[in-house]
Amino acid sequence: MKINKFGVAFTLSALLGATAAWAEYPERAVNMVIPYGAGGATDISARTIAEPLGDAVGKPLIMANVTGAGGATGSVAVQNAKGDGYTMLFARVGSHSVNPAMKATLPYTLDDFRFVTVYEINPVACAVTPASGINSMDDLIAKVNEGGVSYSSSGVGSLLHLAGAMVLKEFGVENPLEAATHIPQKGGGAAATAVLNGTATFLCTNSSALASFVANGQLKPLMVTTPEPVVGFDAPTANELGKERLNQLVGWTGIAGPDDLPDDVAAKWGEWMATATQDPKFNETMSARGSVIQLMDPEEANAFIIGQYNIFRALVDELGMRIEG
Amino acid sequence: MSLWDSLMAGLSLVATFEAFFALFAGICIGVVGGAIPGLSATMAVALTLPFTFSLQPITGILLLLGVYKGGIFGGSIPAILIKTPGTPASSATILDGHPMAERGEAGRALGMALWASCTADLVSNLSLILFAGWLASFALSFGPPEFFALILFSLTIIAGVSGESLLRGFLSALLGLLLATVGLDLVYGTNRFTFGDPNMMGGLNFIAVLIGLFAIPEIISMAWNPVAHLGKARALGQTKVTFADYRRSFRSIIRGSVIGVFLGSIPGIGAAPSAFLSYSEARRKSPNKENFGKGEIEGVAASEAGNNGVAGATLIPLLALGVPGDVITAIIIGAFMIHGLQPGPMMFILNVDIIYGLFIGLIVSSVFLFFVGSVAIKGFRFVADIPKRILMPAVLVLCIYGVFAVNNNIFDVGVMFVMGWVGYIMLRYRVPAAPFLIAFILGPLLEDNFRQSMLMSGSDPTILLRGPITWFFWTLTVVTIVAIVRSVVRKARSAV
Repeated sequence: MKINKFGVAFTLSALLGATAAWAEYPERAVNMVIPYGAGGATDISARTIAEPLGDAVGKPLIMANVTGAGGATGSVAVQNAKGDGYTMLFARVGSHSVNPAMKATLPYTLDDFRFVTVYEINPVACAVTPASGINSMDDLIAKVNEGGVSYSSSGVGSLLHLAGAMVLKEFGVENPLEAATHIPQKGGGAAATAVLNGTATFLCTNSSALASFVANGQLKPLMVTTPEPVVGFDAPTANELGKERLNQLVGWTGIAGPDDLPDDVAAKWGEWMATATQDPKFNETMSARGSVIQLMDPEEANAFIIGQYNIFRALVDELGMRIEG
Repeated sequence: MSLWDSLMAGLSLVATFEAFFALFAGICIGVVGGAIPGLSATMAVALTLPFTFSLQPITGILLLLGVYKGGIFGGSIPAILIKTPGTPASSATILDGHPMAERGEAGRALGMALWASCTADLVSNLSLILFAGWLASFALSFGPPEFFALILFSLTIIAGVSGESLLRGFLSALLGLLLATVGLDLVYGTNRFTFGDPNMMGGLNFIAVLIGLFAIPEIISMAWNPVAHLGKARALGQTKVTFADYRRSFRSIIRGSVIGVFLGSIPGIGAAPSAFLSYSEARRKSPNKENFGKGEIEGVAASEAGNNGVAGATLIPLLALGVPGDVITAIIIGAFMIHGLQPGPMMFILNVDIIYGLFIGLIVSSVFLFFVGSVAIKGFRFVADIPKRILMPAVLVLCIYGVFAVNNNIFDVGVMFVMGWVGYIMLRYRVPAAPFLIAFILGPLLEDNFRQSMLMSGSDPTILLRGPITWFFWTLTVVTIVAIVRSVVRKARSAV
């Protein structure tokens, strides 16, 4: 009887404790998983927002890189975490729209996550070496039709992989998988090197990854996918070339929790992000890297990501790029 | 701007207390970080990166470079003292460094590691300053076929580190190649040997395998037979390295530095293969070949020269091309970007003060490394005096902590223990661990570059013989294999 009473008291206090915790979320530090390696685009973006975001949250943010398998390892860690808002993920275009669209064997789907924000958009640019003699998208397409053109990527199922195929397809290449060879590399740095040393003809990737090569005259940009021109990139926009559909081909960084994240927690993140993205230093650093700060609340973020996923998925199915094994 | 003006501009940028303090602090952090098993140089650099965001660009970059250089040296300390590489690059140092420590010559081995590291570091930094442009264009002539030929040649190192039995060495290498296939297929993106576990999709974590293979078997042996070591002499490492030692190993150190510079300037190889290649070349050329692997000081010198020779040279692709050469420089490039610097040929024109500031900082770093390293050796040498029954549990705790921290993933700790038992069985059956490691590092590179070559050529194998670089390495490979076969045959005959 005594034990029983104790049990009841314990349950009660636990319940009370739980409600108290919800009322005061966050009452302890929040784990933030970065599914890519230190020094990469996601890592830098995450660590730049972490400072103003930490101030807004009012509790420390513990940043941890959990890398591997193109962002899948870190994503799975958050997918399996409790939806209490104390484990959140920096989601990226590669891990959360290209990968789910391309890989049947991925251990997660978009439904396993609840996105609370997308805060950064990265334009995509396509580039070649000046030595290639290719000066415009038309030149590139002409070369593709002749044959022998290849493009590099940071790996199968990366944004770069899909982007190469999508751009060629939009420019009227019937079967981009046959017309051009995809040469996967390990990582974004290696992908750029492959174009520099002539292993591949072109690549399409985030403008921030290309900015230094373009500024140094090592690579020549052919096109950017945003409606507005990108600073430092002397190349036409997709809209100027009449390919508005390519506007969807952009990189982004956002924050997600597990799918059972409660509404009030998601709403809180929305508020915090609204405060954090006002920070002038954050804006300055990100703009200098060629990112466009574009804050989306939880609903907009979900709609944006699902929209991009559907476009990518349709392309993947049409071209037969889905990886089943 | 003349060279003098550039130098002065650089000097005015780095001749501040903060810049030098950052460099010094970086080396201290690196040596300690590198010396903790599991907390590799890469981890130390990654952990330092966020602190550089608020610093001046040059100060931040010097801090990271200090951590990098300190870490590569620091890794040799546990490699020598407790047979656990603090950082993958120091795996080769174990081969001769640890037997020396067992003989009570820990101080001598550590001293040689430091001298060789600093010499190689200096050679590497000078190469960066003098030949960056030339080496960068050399590096750009390395496409997948050239890589394939180079890696194929590097695999012949296995023969040099197999110890008494070539057959056992091959067995070990095969096991390494097999385990390296776990993860995502590069070209098709399909799962290989992941058994449906998402944790395996990224492949087996390198640090976990490394620690599992070297440190855990020692701990298991200790637990198996707690008193086995008691009779053995493992006295205070009071012995010091002498100038005669240094002079005797000088040729190996310079050879190792040059190997390091070449491999470092080619993006994508890293310090560990360079250390092993330098080691096996030193062994091949040495008159006391037989003594290698049993505590030959020249082996320590060659390995340490090989890995530190990479440290300055990896900045060549970084600064001259804007391309990260390995995992560590990929992190450092992040520090450039966060400050709006764009490494590449134009940086030599636009930010010439930063470039020369870095050069000055690098040269100074070799000197700092020498002093910090000397102090560290004095401190860490006494680790050799700690009774094994106290040391080993402490090492185990550090290993678990370090391996977990690499990727914040408990699965990696499991990998470490499984590999520990594999390593223990290998130890019991006298199968050497070094060939396993070399195959584990080089196997994926060999496969990826082969398949990339085939994609480039449309499956035409003649691409593997394009250009003089491939021919050069193919010839070297054939010559080395013939030499190995001849020595095996001769051994067999003399045995009969």
